[in-house]
Amino acid sequence: MKKSKKSETGFGSKISIFSKINRLFHKLPLEKKEFVLLEIFIGIFLLMSIISPGRFLSWYNLQSMAYQFPEFGMLALAMMVVIITGGINLSITYNATLASIIGAVVLVKMNEMGAAPLLTVIIGVAVIILTSMACGALNGFIVAGIGITPMLATLGTMTLFEGISLNITKGGAISGFPLMFQWFGNSSVLGIPVPMLLFIIVIAATYFILQRSRFGAAVYMIGCNPRATRFSGINVRKTLFLLYIYSGLLTGIAGLVMASRYNSAKESYGYSYLLQSVAAAVLGGTEISGGFGKVFGTVVSVLILQVISSGLNIFGVNRFITDVVMGGILIIVLTINFVNNKREEKALITKKIVTA
Amino acid sequence: MFSYIKKSKEMGILLILIVISVIISLFNSSFLTIGNLLDVVKSNIVLGMMAMGMLLVLLTGGIDVSVASIVAAVTVIIGRFMVDVSSNIFLIFLVGCLSGSLMGMINGLLIAKLKIPPIVATLGTMSVIFGLMLYLTNGTWITGIPQNFIDFGQITVGTFSIPGSEKTMGIPIQFFFFVFAALLTWFMLKYTVIGRGIYAIGGNKESAERIGMNADKINIFIYTYEGFLIGLAAVVHTSIMRQVDPNAFIGFELQVIAAVVLGGASVLGGYGTVFGTILGVSLFCVINNGLILMHIPVYWQKIVVGIVLISSISFDVIQKRMKEKKNVRVDIDEEASVSSRRSGAAGKADTAKLEQKA
Repeated sequence: MKKSKKSETGFGSKISIFSKINRLFHKLPLEKKEFVLLEIFIGIFLLMSIISPGRFLSWYNLQSMAYQFPEFGMLALAMMVVIITGGINLSITYNATLASIIGAVVLVKMNEMGAAPLLTVIIGVAVIILTSMACGALNGFIVAGIGITPMLATLGTMTLFEGISLNITKGGAISGFPLMFQWFGNSSVLGIPVPMLLFIIVIAATYFILQRSRFGAAVYMIGCNPRATRFSGINVRKTLFLLYIYSGLLTGIAGLVMASRYNSAKESYGYSYLLQSVAAAVLGGTEISGGFGKVFGTVVSVLILQVISSGLNIFGVNRFITDVVMGGILIIVLTINFVNNKREEKALITKKIVTA
Repeated sequence: MFSYIKKSKEMGILLILIVISVIISLFNSSFLTIGNLLDVVKSNIVLGMMAMGMLLVLLTGGIDVSVASIVAAVTVIIGRFMVDVSSNIFLIFLVGCLSGSLMGMINGLLIAKLKIPPIVATLGTMSVIFGLMLYLTNGTWITGIPQNFIDFGQITVGTFSIPGSEKTMGIPIQFFFFVFAALLTWFMLKYTVIGRGIYAIGGNKESAERIGMNADKINIFIYTYEGFLIGLAAVVHTSIMRQVDPNAFIGFELQVIAAVVLGGASVLGGYGTVFGTILGVSLFCVINNGLILMHIPVYWQKIVVGIVLISSISFDVIQKRMKEKKNVRVDIDEEASVSSRRSGAAGKADTAKLEQKA
């Protein structure tokens, strides 16, 4: 596994404002890339708060952000787990919407028939979750079973899911859910929005599966070298298959939240999250060629992207300029990473020369 | 020769293409008419030209998701240019190709010099270019394209009479730009050092560098060249559409990738041909056209395209695996030959050239 072991060196001096916070962070078990991300997040958050304390830091805005970003976060995690194996899952957004559309059909039908709301919602949610896992299993079968490159496999299933969704909705949106279904997207428990709660559960689950379990270790190994992993006695196909099902499950939860929040289901919901979730994962330090990536980094970069888009939105900046800023940040952060790596390499070489 | 034909990936695709064409023409006799075929060709020239650029990128093991944003941006640039500045056709082409090449070069520099993974770099440039363009144009269409450019776009070569009507049709001039792009790409891949270098890098980057290929330079070159083709495609697109819609290309990048991949190119790099790509593009547009002619509801089209995409790639992979099973003698031998086969042809040519130089 690629792990930078030089994470403690030469950090406090770079951004003087945060040097104190840095020292605090050093006590946390974090990697260097994650420090940078956390700094960027805090920096942007403070910047937005200073520019517009009344509006950005308002309870209303924070609350609305807490409702908005969980669905994006879940999709980004669904993307990340697959990228860690060196693959990519282009079907996540249509996977989410297909699941929510099929669930929506069940919800609406049962609602029309006059079934008890609680039963309807339970069955509807079960259908959404199961459909999403079935879609994930299809991806898993094509990637792990047949052996097609993930990008192509999921490009195909993406088109397929979109087609099936369109066929069901005929291009419109499905609505008419029982009132109780809105609980998942629009209410809160003890002041914490339900989507946020679901997101926290998803984060915890993903963290334990990836970073604290034997299965997770196998996932990282596959990302580094699938052949060596196979030779070390791990069932690569089974691991990949299960991982794609898990990725599907995460998109299903995101689809559930989206359907509930918009109170309808449509195939194009969340489409813009597709490439953004790749960006979030990569920004969070996930290596696109596989083998490295952490839940923490991805979550922080989702927060960064959300704070930027909400902030710019509050300042009345044109939506398209927000896109420009997002793209710019992605490139700049990667450039900084590149320069840092170069500098470290140079430092290492000179060190070696000196000691020699 | 025969065994080559039987083995090659392209022949499989050609077979699928023929079978699908036969099925479609059984359902609707108007499919195999010159009029329809010319329409199919004309409406897919842009896809074909962009597929040529994408082929080069996929050959090196990269990917470019910014193609749609670049082509849209160039159509806007030349649209504004010909409306506001000059309607000189030569200048329009120059501006289109230059702006396309420039945007492509930015991708190339990010990928080669800053070592940003291609999918991420192009993702970044995509959102920057799309965002800037939509902000500046506000999504409004550019109309009022000068008459001489419209006239240029309507030039046709040769005449075919259409049975059953008095109209005649010719090959649209845009088609020749596609032929130019395809020939140029084919020639470059086959007969130039840079072309062989592209295959070599896709096969195995490290060994390509060891035999003296400059991977950075080649990367910058292919993204610039891709940008050039996209710029050309943008001018061609405008000459067909006679107006500019900044939103016309949203989601187009995945279509381009799908078409190239259908044509047998490997996303891992090292394998893919111009001929295969042409077949892939044809397959893609024949399916789309056929579904319309067969009166299949629009909603089904995506499903069919998805299934064709998955099954044709699965077919390829399964076939390859069965062949490998047949050939397996010693595991280690097999591993070695698989890895060397990927860069084999290109590598040999390069070493030969190097020896000559020495």
